[in-house]
Amino acid sequence: MVAMGTRGMIGESTKHTFSLKSFLIYLLMAFSSFFLPGCGSNSSEVNNTNVSKPTILVWHWMTDRQAPLAELAKRYEEKTGIKIKFELYAPSDAYSQKVRAAAQGNNLPDIFGILAEKRDFAAFIKAGHIADLTPNMNAENGKWKNYFFAKALAGNEFNEGNTYGVSAGIYGVPIDVTTIQMLYNKDLFRELGLDPQKPPATFDEFLAIGDKLKAKNMQGLVSGWGEMWMIDCLANNYAFNIMGKDKVLATLRGEVPYTDPDWVKVLSLFKKMQDSGVLANGLVTMINKTAEQLFANGKAVFAFNGSWCVNVYKGMNPNLNYGVMLPPRASDKYPMSIWGGAGTSFMVNDRSPRKEEAIKFLQWFTEKDQQVFFAEKTNNLPANKESIKNIPEILAQFSDDIEYATHPNTWGVSEFPPVIEALDKGIQSIIIGEKSPEQVSQDVQKIKERELAKKKAK
Amino acid sequence: MKSAAYYTAKKITFNTFVYLFLISVALSCIFPLLWMLSSSLKTQETIFQDMSLIPRELHFENYMRAWTEGGFGRCFLNSIFYTTSVVFGIVIVSSLAAYAFSRFKFPGKNLIFYIFMGAMMIPIPGSFVALYVLLNKLHLRDTPVGYILCMINVGLSTSIFLLKTFFDKLPHELEDAARIDGCSKWGIWRHVALPLARPVLAVVIVFNTLNVWNEYFLALLIFDSPRLMPLQLGLMKLQGEFVTQYPLLMSGLTITALPIVLLYLLMQKYIVKGVTQGAVVG
Repeated sequence: MVAMGTRGMIGESTKHTFSLKSFLIYLLMAFSSFFLPGCGSNSSEVNNTNVSKPTILVWHWMTDRQAPLAELAKRYEEKTGIKIKFELYAPSDAYSQKVRAAAQGNNLPDIFGILAEKRDFAAFIKAGHIADLTPNMNAENGKWKNYFFAKALAGNEFNEGNTYGVSAGIYGVPIDVTTIQMLYNKDLFRELGLDPQKPPATFDEFLAIGDKLKAKNMQGLVSGWGEMWMIDCLANNYAFNIMGKDKVLATLRGEVPYTDPDWVKVLSLFKKMQDSGVLANGLVTMINKTAEQLFANGKAVFAFNGSWCVNVYKGMNPNLNYGVMLPPRASDKYPMSIWGGAGTSFMVNDRSPRKEEAIKFLQWFTEKDQQVFFAEKTNNLPANKESIKNIPEILAQFSDDIEYATHPNTWGVSEFPPVIEALDKGIQSIIIGEKSPEQVSQDVQKIKERELAKKKAK
Repeated sequence: MKSAAYYTAKKITFNTFVYLFLISVALSCIFPLLWMLSSSLKTQETIFQDMSLIPRELHFENYMRAWTEGGFGRCFLNSIFYTTSVVFGIVIVSSLAAYAFSRFKFPGKNLIFYIFMGAMMIPIPGSFVALYVLLNKLHLRDTPVGYILCMINVGLSTSIFLLKTFFDKLPHELEDAARIDGCSKWGIWRHVALPLARPVLAVVIVFNTLNVWNEYFLALLIFDSPRLMPLQLGLMKLQGEFVTQYPLLMSGLTITALPIVLLYLLMQKYIVKGVTQGAVVG
């Protein structure tokens, strides 16, 4: 019985023998047709060994900038005969992994960007993957260096005696800059009976708008506070404004506790905003994409966002009528501060045989004309300060305040990640009424002390 | 004694609730697909303003733009090739390995099997850098062979587990009968075990096809040449760092999802059989 059954089954299976063979033949043919050209050197290597006309290979992750980059590459080739090959690898987290892996295998391209914190940037430099551009920047009385906003260069610069152990110098070329500021909808301002030319300059003026918002049943400030780092950004802005940079950095070093009255004051601002009604509903869990959508569609009066939003809003609602303002100052003691600086930077591979050509290309790329073209096409702020005169007004508004810009990467001291997390989550708890500013300041200080003790024990 | 009308009413009420529940589950599954399809026919502006599922104007040109801007032509062929090769490799290697684990006795059998099972617990991204360095040393980086070998390796553990579970339940009498008929060990694997394992193989094929078709991270790491990139990398080009062209992205997603939906529909019968026969255990 069993044997017969098996025979029947075997007979049935032989019907499939032909199809399996065909499949194998097909696969073999496909393999040979695919691999024969594929197993040789890759195209970039071939191009790069061409001595007469070198090809500079650039890796980047900016999907929405590929077209203008390719156009600039074409112009450079026409001008110099040197081919620039921009290779796009997205999304950014996968790109970061690729760069790290390529660094380990010594396969980095001639030019690349690093999407990481400054300590990782430093690790790449110490491993000999990134060229020191200081001599090039300083040549001809600092001609190249003078192209840039000082704040844009700061993120790519290591000062003497830095904690990362990197020789002082400039190791990256900023191709654009960003600032993170407040935005307001001018049309909704009019509806609220406010002057669109006079956005609130002080914190009290800002809070006073809460009543008008409630009366008109409008939503106030939207932002990606569900992603946390944007809360951190605004909290730091106000910390600089209330206690000054030195005291903030002293806190990071552990010399000033988070229970200091000035920190409680910073945290209290979030409670005041919530109580006055200037914050939009659901802000605590809102991701930035949702916030952008709400602001672009006129569903919120204020937004807290980076200069990249100009391009985003243009895509979502080209008719959006909005302006840029500094976060309203809470104190007159110290200037208001915003996060900003280099947006995207390119680094030159120190081991590249085409290092000099790569540097020359970056010099050309950051000249005024190319920067204006790049800013117009991508709606990002150019890194070249001369280009500002030729960019759209809304972008110029963002760049006007770059003098107030600062960034943790330039402070030379950084906070422990668990402390940042506790502070950000604490602010979220204040907004939803779960904790008071005093409670949060105590919680954060406890974590700070724990982390300091851990560091000391090491 | 309850009347027949009572039982009929009870049955209708019960069925109504069951159907309502099933319809709601089905809708929640279908809705994202419908939304994707609807968004693929809108413009960048209307996607944020017009929330209806049926767009006022249909923009079929989004598909052409997604195809050209994402460079889907070459990527599509690449993906078909990688998926076919990897799934074929997994089916052959895992069925042989699973059969050996199930039927043969050899030293260290359990240890090797547990090592394979342990490999299922290792998150793949954790091994990416090591994999990159290894492929670089073997001169297999930026080659289809390197990628295919890695992807076969990724899919082996789960497939071996599924197939071994099935082979363990297979009556030994069938193999005895085949042996009496003159079948060798290879013959038994080829003519007895494999044909009987068709439902489980269908599950293995679908699971791995999905896995390879949707993979992009490893491909991005291994490949430098754009001409070798799979379809998902084309899709990533449509997703911007700050600005995403949603209609193009949705068109691209629709194009990408189509072959998988078709494969699932074709193999649906076997998958259900495979699952109900206990292919997916534990």
